[in-house]
Amino acid sequence: MRKDRRPAARIGKVLVANRGEIAIRVMRACRELGIRSIAVYSDADANAPHVESADEAQRIGPAPATESYLHIPNLLEAARVSGADAVHPGYGFLSESAAFAEAVEAAGLVWIGPPPATQRALGNKLAARRAVVDAGVPVVPGLMVPLEDGDVPDLAEIGLPAMLKAAAGGGGRGMRRIEAGNELPAALAAARREALAAFADGTVYLERLVSPARHVEVQLLGDRQGNLACLGERDCSVQRRHQKLVEESPSPAVTPAIREALYDSARRVAGTVAFDNAATVEFLLDAEGRHFFLEMNTRLQVEHGVTELVTGLDLVAWQIRIAQGERLPAEVLEPALRGNAVEVRIYAEDPWDGFRPRAGRVTTWREPAGPGIRVDAAVRPGLELTPEYDPLLGKLMVHAVDRPAMVARLRRALDETLIGGLQTDLGFHRWLVDQPGFATGEYDTDLVASVWGNGPELVSGLADLAATAAAEARAAQPPPRAKAGGDPPGSAWAARARAEALRQ
Amino acid sequence: MTPSYRVTVSDREVALPTGWELTWLDRAAGVARVARGEEAHIVVVEGSGTEWHVTIAGRRVPVTVRTRREQRLAEAEVASRQRGGPIDVRASLPGLVVALGAAEGDEVEEGHPLLTIEAMKMQNEVRAPHGGRVVHVAVAAGQTVATGALLLRLE
Repeated sequence: MRKDRRPAARIGKVLVANRGEIAIRVMRACRELGIRSIAVYSDADANAPHVESADEAQRIGPAPATESYLHIPNLLEAARVSGADAVHPGYGFLSESAAFAEAVEAAGLVWIGPPPATQRALGNKLAARRAVVDAGVPVVPGLMVPLEDGDVPDLAEIGLPAMLKAAAGGGGRGMRRIEAGNELPAALAAARREALAAFADGTVYLERLVSPARHVEVQLLGDRQGNLACLGERDCSVQRRHQKLVEESPSPAVTPAIREALYDSARRVAGTVAFDNAATVEFLLDAEGRHFFLEMNTRLQVEHGVTELVTGLDLVAWQIRIAQGERLPAEVLEPALRGNAVEVRIYAEDPWDGFRPRAGRVTTWREPAGPGIRVDAAVRPGLELTPEYDPLLGKLMVHAVDRPAMVARLRRALDETLIGGLQTDLGFHRWLVDQPGFATGEYDTDLVASVWGNGPELVSGLADLAATAAAEARAAQPPPRAKAGGDPPGSAWAARARAEALRQ
Repeated sequence: MTPSYRVTVSDREVALPTGWELTWLDRAAGVARVARGEEAHIVVVEGSGTEWHVTIAGRRVPVTVRTRREQRLAEAEVASRQRGGPIDVRASLPGLVVALGAAEGDEVEEGHPLLTIEAMKMQNEVRAPHGGRVVHVAVAAGQTVATGALLLRLE
């Protein structure tokens, strides 16, 4: 039933309502399909890499996202002026905004993504919990209604530790861990404040904290004829601040029986709404292999590439083809999963400083190459990172015949990757590949908090090496040239000595 | 031949080891090979004069390289600061000042949250590097600051 949507039509020109590596990713799919792409850019991004990758570009406003990448009227105007007939939202920004999807369709354009009604139905985590329970999908034990100030929930029944979550949440915001009942009032106030600030909706609920747990998600593609494909799972258990850093497929923890159970639940979740296009159903997997529904993301995910590597499918191309009304063929509905793939996200943030973001200028950028390597990035030397946007520089993915080969290939690829100008999380990833828990695949969502902590001390071997490199580099520098006035080098010291002498 | 430098790595003094050789692979990009015997590493070296950064295995480490004279000058500066001169607290990253945790005249202890800077959708707390009195607040909530901008002054 797609009466609310436009009839199938060939797409000739796609407006990519995003920036950075995902905008480039979508433009690449467009080019391979013979479709023209239009970039949009804020004033901060006039020379950004994604603008170069498109056939055309439209300015959509000043640097703040609320006035550009989140500004629906400006995006629609850019689509109108450029003659686009479809819009791809990427991830983040307006990708899960039902209002934007509806505005795009109301303007007579094709929305490349799940129908706005799906987004409305599943955008609220609490509403989604209620809907999927009715469909027979296991959810994390906890409240099915909002937690109001002064409520005294039955913590014995929910189980401690527990987690406060924002109903409108995402990206780890509006979440608070509860160890004991007396922490609830203060944590509730804090979670509500954060949820209000981030989502303009302070609705909060409480559920059991499943720990140890793995974060596992099923990739879905559905056509408009009602066919639904489950394209394997991704394990996203390496997280900081409840946000993903590393994703791999298949999950080392998922057996064929668990995969069947995950697929069954994912199909049931999708069945609660009028779904087509691409989406991901996220679950927690506990130590006994039981899974619990977390949420359904009605958009392309950052980590879609690992699924592309193990299935050989181009998910973005299929998003576009589904939006054109094409039917999914057998090779998509029953894909063969080949080998193991992993992605590490390269963020401009300092793992030795609590993964805090770092702004600055990228001075050096060298990507790895060779067998089984894929880099999706939007970086070049000289690029200035502005604090307005997400600090993701790019994603390094590798694909190999099995998991040990995948880990070895990732280590090799990380050693080939060189970034200068600012601290990134590359050092964390280089540490991760040498962790016994990562090598065996036995890790969970606590890895960063419990094993990394604040990061290892700088071992003396590395300190020696850094000292040597800098000293050699200085020695190799030409001596500073004397200034026009004729001050010899070291005159600051001489001036200071004179000043000291005069004072005595 | 390396002159006799005094070197600190992450603020800790390091005796320069011997036997390492540095070969530039790409001078403009700062990419070099540092080798001794069979051991070799590819590093990224940035900087000039006394201030450097070396990135090894994805970890970017601050390194100072000083001549004996520069070292004495630096030590004199530290001594002057320790005699109780005012300390400028500056922004370590650009962003939006969203909240102030101290006002002029406040006595604060080391670690006291002075203000919050929002950058890349994250809230970053700037804490007092040591105890003292806030003698000047240079920014207001809602203001955008650049890296290195004066935030406030402690005495």
